[in-house]
Amino acid sequence: MSGEEEENAAELKIGDEFLKAKCLMNCEVALILEHKYEQLQQTSDDPMNQVSQVFEKSLQYVKRFSRYKNPDALCVLGNLCPETVEEAIAMVPSIRSKGRAHDDEAIEKMLNDLSLIKKFE
Amino acid sequence: MFFHIVLERNIQLHPRHFGRNLRDNIVSKLMKGVEGTCSGRHGFVVAITGIENIGKGLIRDGTGFVTFPVKYQCVVFRPFKGEILEAVVSMVNKMGFFAEAGPVQIFVSNHLIPDDMEFQSGDMPNYTTSDGSVKIQKDSEVRLKIIGTRVDATEIVCLFISCQEVSFFLLRFSL
Repeated sequence: MSGEEEENAAELKIGDEFLKAKCLMNCEVALILEHKYEQLQQTSDDPMNQVSQVFEKSLQYVKRFSRYKNPDALCVLGNLCPETVEEAIAMVPSIRSKGRAHDDEAIEKMLNDLSLIKKFE
Repeated sequence: MFFHIVLERNIQLHPRHFGRNLRDNIVSKLMKGVEGTCSGRHGFVVAITGIENIGKGLIRDGTGFVTFPVKYQCVVFRPFKGEILEAVVSMVNKMGFFAEAGPVQIFVSNHLIPDDMEFQSGDMPNYTTSDGSVKIQKDSEVRLKIIGTRVDATEIVCLFISCQEVSFFLLRFSL
């Protein structure tokens, strides 16, 4: 029980098994759950009946709170660490694509934020 | 927070399921028995994503049932004390408000709501700051900090959220 008492996510005290486990961003969870939901749709007529309430609620939640629509693009940006807006657009053209409100200023701000993270590590 | 984690469970199978589809039967029984459940230790099991391995079965004496140890990967949702997360308000009353973060129900007592927020009754009960700039009502998105969890048999209920983190979505970058 002592482990339970000391649990504190703010200091990353979350128990050994969770430290070993991979934590997921909401957008990744959304991808996984949507994929699973599609699979269910193919095998049965009424997939909503097949899934548990927990699944349904989680899916709604991660859809509502996904910050990124495309985690792959995020990964590329994280790996390559572009410094200028032009560089970023060249690497990941989709950040300019239709349906996203990313203008140059927003991209620049995002890159600044990323470089800040680098500094603090 | 969501995690991708490997868990283990023993699955008991009736002999009539043995045969060519043994593996499928084990997997579907695992999914039925595990998905949607919740434990205090691992939180909510949202979805099984893969089977790591199925161990050798052990025949139970006297019954013919066979127990298979199964290792599986799954997505779990586990709230931690001290964690900050986002939630959708589902109900507001004078005692405080309820919010939902995925499968978890969260209660925020009015003692923990900032002092400058007043309760307003009406058909849309809400908590509003004196200048009216921030309003917490049904369907608002709030960011809050978990200060305690309670585990019921079937669900984790997070109780009591500290107040300074209760903020509207628009304020989220000021954290």
